[in-house]
Amino acid sequence: MNIDIQGLRHEYDVEVLKDLTITLKDVSSIALIGVSGSGKSTLLRLLSGIEKPTTGTVRVNGTNINERAYKERVGFVFQDHNLFPHLTLERNITLILEETRNIPKSEAKNIARQNLEALQLADQMHKLPKHVSGGQAQRASIARALALNPEVIFLDEPTASLDPILTHEVLMAVKKLRDLGKDFVFATHVISFVKDFADYVIFMEHGAIVEHGPPSIMDAPTTRAMRNYMDKVH
Amino acid sequence: MEAVKSAARLSDTSRERLHVLLNYALAILTFIGLAIMVVIRQQRALAFDEIWLRSSIIQRAFVTTVTVSFIALIGSLVLGLVFYFFSISRVRYLRAFTDVFTEVIYGTPLLVMIFMMGYVFRASFNIAGPETFGLVGLTIYITPYMTNIFRAAFSSIPEGQYQAMDLFGFTTFQRYRYIIIPQVIRALMAPLMNNFSLIIKGSALLHIVGTREIYYELFALSNTTGRNIETFFIMWLLYLMITLPLSRIIQFVEKRWST
Repeated sequence: MNIDIQGLRHEYDVEVLKDLTITLKDVSSIALIGVSGSGKSTLLRLLSGIEKPTTGTVRVNGTNINERAYKERVGFVFQDHNLFPHLTLERNITLILEETRNIPKSEAKNIARQNLEALQLADQMHKLPKHVSGGQAQRASIARALALNPEVIFLDEPTASLDPILTHEVLMAVKKLRDLGKDFVFATHVISFVKDFADYVIFMEHGAIVEHGPPSIMDAPTTRAMRNYMDKVH
Repeated sequence: MEAVKSAARLSDTSRERLHVLLNYALAILTFIGLAIMVVIRQQRALAFDEIWLRSSIIQRAFVTTVTVSFIALIGSLVLGLVFYFFSISRVRYLRAFTDVFTEVIYGTPLLVMIFMMGYVFRASFNIAGPETFGLVGLTIYITPYMTNIFRAAFSSIPEGQYQAMDLFGFTTFQRYRYIIIPQVIRALMAPLMNNFSLIIKGSALLHIVGTREIYYELFALSNTTGRNIETFFIMWLLYLMITLPLSRIIQFVEKRWST
């Protein structure tokens, strides 16, 4: 994917993004790292089109994120899965396909089944979100994002509310995205995972991009801020 | 070994259930005993024959209580929803109006409310009888409680779900049809039954505007037959006949829909 950010600013109550400019070409998995409140979630939400930037332009694969159709071409995985609690895992997917993408019922069912199976949820798909584990629910929300066949999938700390075992389970699902050839951008605190699966790393602090480059930059940070962060997360 | 353990556990839970049942039976017997004692200690023997002769009046009164309560339920439900939308409206006046309305109702006893509507308001809007206006009073009295349960039900849908609906590009109709209303109805059922119970008990006060409901007719019966002990007993049982099954339904609905 190609990402082009020019003079991006965003303001609301607390978090602020300060004049970000960065151009990335031909990267397939980007990791956003940094302490909580550094602006990585905000950047992710802006990139995905969920929120509109205060000023600045962002293009993903050449498309301006303010274009109406943009949101339909990306997937988003929330920190707390945000599945609809009154619908089964399967229905969570088919409802969106049928209602917002005009896909016929039987085809929607097939797509939902395929994606849930790909994430090892075939035996759970008729259950409600509260009757499966947090890891399974998060995997289902990844399946939901995948089912819409997006160009890029954004994941906002998908493992933040999970214990280490479930975290591993969800990260394996993210790995699956890579195996499926999907491009993705994710915010996370799991550094070992970033090293293995990201091909580009962006380190943020106080709403600014402090360092960015291939994962090897994490072994030799040039700024004190990133050095401090790397010391703490290890 | 596992099988033995689980069998032991099973008998533990069934013993527990038996204990609960036994204690409930005991508590119910206590109340029946109290009622029998009250009957026995009366100065004269109870006689129901004169009252049975007029059982059709009692039946009609029972139906009236259920009917007016149901009308008040539907009316307050609709008004409660309207006031809920007022309370979240962008129009400041509507929000202020809702607040003032709620404070006024909270500060008014139901008896006074029914009296005010049935006689005072009716006198200036002379479009229907005191009975109708009294029923409007009961309906209005319950409305803020309905607004509250709507507020609780709507706020039971977390922000994250609205974000998801935004993300997937749901239209307003789709949001309400598939996501919001199904969840709101679930959250609404149990408190709604509770409010219905409130309405049924409140409907007893409609006798002051001449509604021929249970209290009105049974009170009249106690005068015409002179059998006031018996009639009040029957009156009490009639209300319990409606409210007790209702509270069982509430428990059932809560259990059924919370899983």
